[in-house]
Amino acid sequence: MSLKIRTKFGSIKIERRLTYPRHISILTTVLAILLSFAAVAVILTLMGINAFEAFAVMARAFIVPRLLFESVKQSIPICLSALGIAIAFKMNFWNIGAEGQIYMGMIAATGVVLLHVYYGAFNEYLLLPLMTISSFLLGGVWCLITSFLKSKLNVNEILTTLMLNYVAILIVDYLIHGPWRDPKGYGFPLSIAFPNYAKFIFVLDSPAYTGLLISILAAAAVFFVMKYTKIGFEINVVGHSLNVAKYAGINVSRVIMLGSFLSGGLAGIGGLSIVSGIIGRLRPRASPGYGYTAIIVAALAGLNPWLIVVASLFFGGLLTAGESLQASMNVPKAATQMIQAIIFLFILMGEFFKRYQIIFERGGNGS
Amino acid sequence: MEDLVVLRGIVKRFPGVVANDHVDFTLKRGEVHALLGENGAGKTTLMNVLYGLYKPNEGEIYVKNKRVHLKSPKDAIELGIGMVYQNFRLIESHTVLENIILGAKDLEFKIDFERHEEKIKRLAEVYGWKIDPRMKVWQLSAGEKQQVELLKILYRGADILILDEPTSVLTPQETRRLFKALRRMASEGKGIIFITHKLNEVMEVSDRVTVMRRGKVIITKNTAETSPVELANYMVGRPVILKIEKAESKPGAEIAKLIDLEALSDKGVLALRKVNLTIRKGEIVGIAGVSGNGQVELAEVMIGLRKATKGKVMIDGVDVTNKNVKEIIELGVAYIPPESTRWGIVKDLRIADNLFLKAYRYPPYSNKLLLNWKKIFEETEKLVKEFEIMTSSIFAKARSLSGGNLQRLILARELSGLIGGGAPKLIIAAYPTKGLDVGATEFVHKTLLRYRELGSGILFISEDLDEILMLSDRIAVMLEGRITGVLSREEANVEKIGLLMSKAVAQAR
Amino acid sequence: MMEWIESVLHTTVQMGTVYLLASLGEIYAERSGILNLGLEGIMIMGAALSFIFTIAYGYFAAILMSIIVGVLMSLILAVMAVHMRLNQVVTGLALTMLGLGLSGFIAFPEIRKRILLALNPALPQEALMTQEAPKLPEISLPVLSNIPLIGESFFSHNVLVYFSYIAAPIMWYILFKTRFGLSLRSVGEDPATADSLGVNVYLVRYSATMVSGGFAGLAGAYLFIGFHPFWQEGLTAGKGFIALALVILSTWNPLRAILGAYLFGGVETIQFRLQLFGFGAQSPYFLAMLPYLITILTLIMISFENVRKRIGVPASLGIPYSREQD
Repeated sequence: MSLKIRTKFGSIKIERRLTYPRHISILTTVLAILLSFAAVAVILTLMGINAFEAFAVMARAFIVPRLLFESVKQSIPICLSALGIAIAFKMNFWNIGAEGQIYMGMIAATGVVLLHVYYGAFNEYLLLPLMTISSFLLGGVWCLITSFLKSKLNVNEILTTLMLNYVAILIVDYLIHGPWRDPKGYGFPLSIAFPNYAKFIFVLDSPAYTGLLISILAAAAVFFVMKYTKIGFEINVVGHSLNVAKYAGINVSRVIMLGSFLSGGLAGIGGLSIVSGIIGRLRPRASPGYGYTAIIVAALAGLNPWLIVVASLFFGGLLTAGESLQASMNVPKAATQMIQAIIFLFILMGEFFKRYQIIFERGGNGS
Repeated sequence: MEDLVVLRGIVKRFPGVVANDHVDFTLKRGEVHALLGENGAGKTTLMNVLYGLYKPNEGEIYVKNKRVHLKSPKDAIELGIGMVYQNFRLIESHTVLENIILGAKDLEFKIDFERHEEKIKRLAEVYGWKIDPRMKVWQLSAGEKQQVELLKILYRGADILILDEPTSVLTPQETRRLFKALRRMASEGKGIIFITHKLNEVMEVSDRVTVMRRGKVIITKNTAETSPVELANYMVGRPVILKIEKAESKPGAEIAKLIDLEALSDKGVLALRKVNLTIRKGEIVGIAGVSGNGQVELAEVMIGLRKATKGKVMIDGVDVTNKNVKEIIELGVAYIPPESTRWGIVKDLRIADNLFLKAYRYPPYSNKLLLNWKKIFEETEKLVKEFEIMTSSIFAKARSLSGGNLQRLILARELSGLIGGGAPKLIIAAYPTKGLDVGATEFVHKTLLRYRELGSGILFISEDLDEILMLSDRIAVMLEGRITGVLSREEANVEKIGLLMSKAVAQAR
Repeated sequence: MMEWIESVLHTTVQMGTVYLLASLGEIYAERSGILNLGLEGIMIMGAALSFIFTIAYGYFAAILMSIIVGVLMSLILAVMAVHMRLNQVVTGLALTMLGLGLSGFIAFPEIRKRILLALNPALPQEALMTQEAPKLPEISLPVLSNIPLIGESFFSHNVLVYFSYIAAPIMWYILFKTRFGLSLRSVGEDPATADSLGVNVYLVRYSATMVSGGFAGLAGAYLFIGFHPFWQEGLTAGKGFIALALVILSTWNPLRAILGAYLFGGVETIQFRLQLFGFGAQSPYFLAMLPYLITILTLIMISFENVRKRIGVPASLGIPYSREQD
């Protein structure tokens, strides 16, 4: 698009760039983040909240050790889900259902724990591996349902994955208010607390470090799969062009279903990291929208696994910052969602400026 | 005669290329003016400038003696300029009527469908066309669609008509009909610009011809004062050899056989009707016929991209009817798809990735799970040299390649025996030279002939009768999903083929 | 018996109107080729604003503001999708998140108080603290509401419901019988062709998107002051997304949208009634899943039909358009 606006002093032209230099990319992203904080500051001030104080409180989430650990912990489900989302998006499969897949992962993990505690099933040492496998499977299946519908019947996956989110949350609600409620929990809708060997504390006894290790391992795994395996190659081709993939003999249905299974599976493990790493049990609304934040993270990181790890840490910090903000300044948690969305929008707009440049031409009216 | 259009010193640049380089062009009232040149010469770009789609970087445009600055096609339409594209710009799911009145200047708010219907029918009669305005466009034939396109612009009172390669989708009979209508329009005082690369048409219908090459105007002449050979030389810049060296045909055993084959098109209509055909080793069977008569569907059924509803496809003695693509590839079938950039190449992947689009899953390029990139890159280097693909690096994205080089890439991928070694048993080439310049076209022809020597059976689909006559050992003509006739090269000529291309139509009418 | 049917129909219309309003607007956007995934966020913003403005000024201001906020929010989507050619799925989601966050923010008691005072300093204390707003009154139409059975069911509603009755056929008419509708549909099928005929693709897409935003905001206002004026978090509960499914179900036809909307209204009515009768006493959660599961079911069924009849999505849906193909 060449848009030209003529004025008295000259004209402004917007034109596609020929190359995408690195420094423009970084500059735009930084500028976008700064602008979004400016916008947030404006909104906060309009609502009578001292923006500087707010930012100071939020910054603590990245500095104070206790809060920093919280930030890292929260980044884990985001990171794992975002990695899964990245695989799906690479195939042009719009998996908006990470949130629901997270919940299904939580159900699977909790189920295994309950089987063990109530029925004596499984050895202690088997517990975490089993929980991992089951949450991966259940999350994967939850996504597979939608990709099956897409492959065979061309049912729009955006809507089906969204609907299943709501369903999954309600399933947890049912379980936790019903059969899975802790009988000794004074009637609160909570499951029993997980025993220590079912929690993410095997690295330095800290869920933060354990989780970080898992994030990095997962990112490495995704990177490896996408670059060096056959399925990774096929996912890439399918994502670029369905027609060419078919022409090359690639079984597109199979690729999409397998890819979405992996996608949902990763989110499922993200769910495991919540019940095992963050909360230590299952409860309703255990995920404050990690699955949606993960979409933002995946998009902003350009689907790159390593950038996803970094961006997850940032957004994990943002969530923790939001909690501090609520605690100390009585700002609603909804503000965090709003801030995330604003950052997202500005960085998306930044994408535009990376692709196009603005040229100012001197000279009056006329060609 | 008044000058309807004057273009002076038009320059139009795109990233990396000057599409129009100080072009001067005039269109007089009452003339049919051919704009001749190869693909990429800049003809369509120039017309897009005249139509207001592109803004020229430099130069002036005069329409009916007034200087104009066109900001969009709307301005051009208002000045009486109308454009008919090669790929029809019609909305298939809408009716003829809706397509014709869309965006018309004085279209009333509440559309009076009956009034417009009457007007359209009367206008069509003037030029001898029979069109039902209530029909949906996707139900029409190519010739009828073109009539709708013409009606579209005539309806808006166009007296400057630009037609971009209008005959590429028409049968010889439909072409005659079109030319009659054009001469009728010219006699009414309209001016017609006719973009083409077909020399015989220029001679037949135009009053004057302008030749373009690489963005520049080479010459403008009265058609009566020139000849096809002279024009061809202007077009290419060097004497053109219109024939090619070809060895004697020594066909071997049968390699492919189609028996009573039937299949549906994307719209659910029968695209192939009881097709019977054999292809032998070492022979080129050309499929002639206007595109859209089932040729692509035929190729797709043979390669496994489309289901056959009846009949059989046998390749090398094996019944491959409705087997999946992968299995057929593994049998040794190569496919050069039409519109390679849409169906055969992923622009944003690297050359190496594109070369191994089919072979990646076989050893030594991969084992059970992992890809062996080292081997892949090695082989890519070899193939790039062998097939003379011009590129700075095998890691460059395919979008950086020109059309000719992309086709070389596809030939390299399909023919070099990456899967199983040796020449392919069967090569299906669908419009492999469409859109390519002379050099690239020559390369494709030479390559196909080389593999013919090596014993591959080749199915060669093309719209260009000259090309078909040049390369084929036998020629089959397709019309409306049927093979209307098969001729050997010795007995074939343009008239006979033309007849087969429209015989059924003549009978039906 | 008669009363029971009337009551069920009445509730069906009540519950279905949200969906009808939201999907009418979205049909226009999608017919032009723009997918507005921000519906959910716009809807809840409409609800939040109608909450605040009803208390501060009254119904008229509330409805007006909810439409305005819808138009403004969808303008963001329009700029990003049409001019910046950004991915519509991702942008729409960002917009929804913005709406969800922003609405929760401004409806939060402390913040809401400040906004209300800024708008209308004369408000009494209860008004500032309440989680509830006065509901739009139902107006029984003379003559029509006296028709047995149908009268009470269809002609005894609030003004927004009546608006939806006339909006649907009007939108159908505009879409299929006027030049604007023809241009709109053409842009959605083949923007390049429309462009080459002088149709202003950008303008058409912008207006269509803003229409969907305005209607979504209105739907949010209806959901709140017209139906259930108690503010709670997550008040839209995915209705905006369900509306997107309804657009598909209605095959992008405003008249069919009525059927789809009332179908869902009916489903929710049944869910509501079953709950009243204690059917889901042990697990209200399964009943609550009903709308979402039915949405998936209808999507599956419509896919079968579409494959059969080859009914198409507007061909350019979700694909950005650029004249010079960059």
